[in-house]
Amino acid sequence: MSFLKSIKITVLAATLALPTSFAAAEAFAEDVTIKLWARADRSGPMRAGNIVGAAETMNKMLAAAGSEIKVSVEVHENNAKGFDADALDVMKAFAADKGPDIYVAAHEWIGAFVEAGYAMNMEQHIESNPDLYSDMIPVLWESVSYKGQRYGIPQDSEIRMFFYNKEMLRKIGKSNDFIEGLPAAVEEGQFTLYDLADLAAEVVEKGAAKHGFVHRPNVGPDFQMLMASFGIELSDSATGKLKMDEAKLANFFTWLKYAVDKGALPKNMTSWSWDSVHQAFRGRESFMKFHGIWNVPKQLKIMELTEETYFKELGWLHSPAEKQGGRPANLSHPIIYVVSDKSEHKDLAAMLVALASQHVPNTKHAVSSGHTPIKFGQASMPEFVEDGWALRAGARLLPYATFMPNHAKIGPYNAIVYKGIQGVETGRLSPEDGAAFVVEELEAELGDEVIIVGGN
Amino acid sequence: MANFALFLGPALVLLALFFVFPVIVDIAIAFTDMGQTLQVKEFTTKNFERMLGGDRRLSMALGLTFIYVLGTLAIFNVTFGLVLALTTTAIPDRVGSFFRAVWLLPRMSPSVVYALLWAWVVDPTERGLLNQFINGAFGFEVYDMMNDHPMMLIILANGFIGASMGMIIFTSAIRSIPEHLFFAARADGAGGLHIVWHVILPAIRWPLSFITVYQTLSLLVSFEYIWLITNGGPFFDTTVYALYVYQRAFEHGQYAYGAALALVLVVIGIAAALLMWRFMDMKRLLQQPRIEVQ
Repeated sequence: MSFLKSIKITVLAATLALPTSFAAAEAFAEDVTIKLWARADRSGPMRAGNIVGAAETMNKMLAAAGSEIKVSVEVHENNAKGFDADALDVMKAFAADKGPDIYVAAHEWIGAFVEAGYAMNMEQHIESNPDLYSDMIPVLWESVSYKGQRYGIPQDSEIRMFFYNKEMLRKIGKSNDFIEGLPAAVEEGQFTLYDLADLAAEVVEKGAAKHGFVHRPNVGPDFQMLMASFGIELSDSATGKLKMDEAKLANFFTWLKYAVDKGALPKNMTSWSWDSVHQAFRGRESFMKFHGIWNVPKQLKIMELTEETYFKELGWLHSPAEKQGGRPANLSHPIIYVVSDKSEHKDLAAMLVALASQHVPNTKHAVSSGHTPIKFGQASMPEFVEDGWALRAGARLLPYATFMPNHAKIGPYNAIVYKGIQGVETGRLSPEDGAAFVVEELEAELGDEVIIVGGN
Repeated sequence: MANFALFLGPALVLLALFFVFPVIVDIAIAFTDMGQTLQVKEFTTKNFERMLGGDRRLSMALGLTFIYVLGTLAIFNVTFGLVLALTTTAIPDRVGSFFRAVWLLPRMSPSVVYALLWAWVVDPTERGLLNQFINGAFGFEVYDMMNDHPMMLIILANGFIGASMGMIIFTSAIRSIPEHLFFAARADGAGGLHIVWHVILPAIRWPLSFITVYQTLSLLVSFEYIWLITNGGPFFDTTVYALYVYQRAFEHGQYAYGAALALVLVVIGIAAALLMWRFMDMKRLLQQPRIEVQ
């Protein structure tokens, strides 16, 4: 059970000239406390900090307008293991009538929050404040949309892809043209996932690396980009329900088994610790790793690379297509701000979110945490120009980005698929049995929330 | 009546608050559709139908629980606890106390620290402590206990901590055996093993029964080290029943189904306690003494 750490940050304030609903407050002093819930996350402390900063900005605006409203932000940092556990804790807090006014969430949970009545419809707020939102990178709105309406504001974006070590390819005699041409070959659908497994196995076989590629050792969204390469759609666009194609899943599992059997992927990958996974790539023991762009700062530090040397040694690839001519994919997994529909101060909370999502505060978060920008204009800001070379490079991968479906049951769905991956990689299940297991579990756990196709 | 309320009242209140009331709440939730929003929309028997018909993991979890409880009890919590008590009482007192203190260290460590140490020890790469010896020092292949022998891992991790309780209880029981019995046995020519068999074991029969019953019930519902070290994996290889209940309820947000599953655990616990009570003749332990001590 996670426990809460409460930090109260009080910000002094003044008057309001922004939403007209606050005009009445000019006549008397009013303290407004906005409760913010954010998962304690070392990789993104500014998600909470920017809301606190936004309150300071707002209070100065209020003061300038002569309002006596004082805005305080009470931050609850929840020490949950991951964003799924955190979302369940938010649900519990709402059920106990202790829900926050604003919360930070992984975007795929938006459907669950909307269905429970805990997420404010942001359409009107966004449309009535075009100056605050019109520079948003449009594809990111998908991540906060549920049944055609927007219920959150993206706080960051990212790219998850394969990192590969070019130096190891040079060691096994690959030409520079081949090495530098890999990203293009992947984008054109010429270099497939099977080619990737073969190449990774070759690097291991020729002694340039101990492992071909490594992946996360726990449940998480990374695997979705591989599934996308096999044409697996996680949701049905017509009904909004989750979806699984058993035959395509068996193809994905067959590839996993192929990679394990070839010696490209350690069979006990899912038993590794995160430290071992990171160290394998940063310690130049693994040829590839699929994870996210926020790894770059640590890679620079531990592998002693610089802006000039980074792309000489390392490269990035989308998840290649399953077959030649197919489309590759990568994954973006935005974290979002959600305003509670139960909040007594919805307009004020939404405005705080708007201020926190502006170019300056969001760039501080993006550059310090290794996330790609949410607005076009951020790319030309000094911080991005000076320190954000990797993030600008990452933004170029966005056209191939896929998102997780915003469905209330995506958490259990991911957990079941991961069990299947674990079963197949460790040799406990054949690819076909693994696919059958996943389908059976999905049907048992999600019932009519999931559509199964491609079965025998 | 006043005495009854005074002496039994606090215990009854605690029993009602922390044992009876949670079971009643659990039963009530088990008949609802409570999901991740904690909202109840209908009362239903669907959870029980799913348990009886649609959940193929259940029988596997029950089987693994049986192996885990029996293995941990038989190897560590009773047998090894007894061996520790016998050996540390047979050697000079100070040395015995030192070894008992060493075996108590895991129990004094916070669970998370203890589990993280285990995770580091058995890390399946060269960075694991065990592999630093096996692979680094002796050149053998990297050993992956978590993948190859996961049940052994959770029995070891729980047993190393669980043995100390038996050790303490058995030590105190052995110390309470009148010394003249040992002298008499020695005078009759009994060796060490004979003394253990004919003097010590009969004298500590009740503590042995108590530890067996208590630790069985404790192991049935314990899962924190398993959760922290293997999280029930690989696949479902270490998903014991209590962990399965926890994962369904708190990791998947299926609170009603978790409550229904937990009811089975309550029933199994009561049945196990009653069976062992009967077969170990625990009733005699609680009988009034036949002689009156003035």
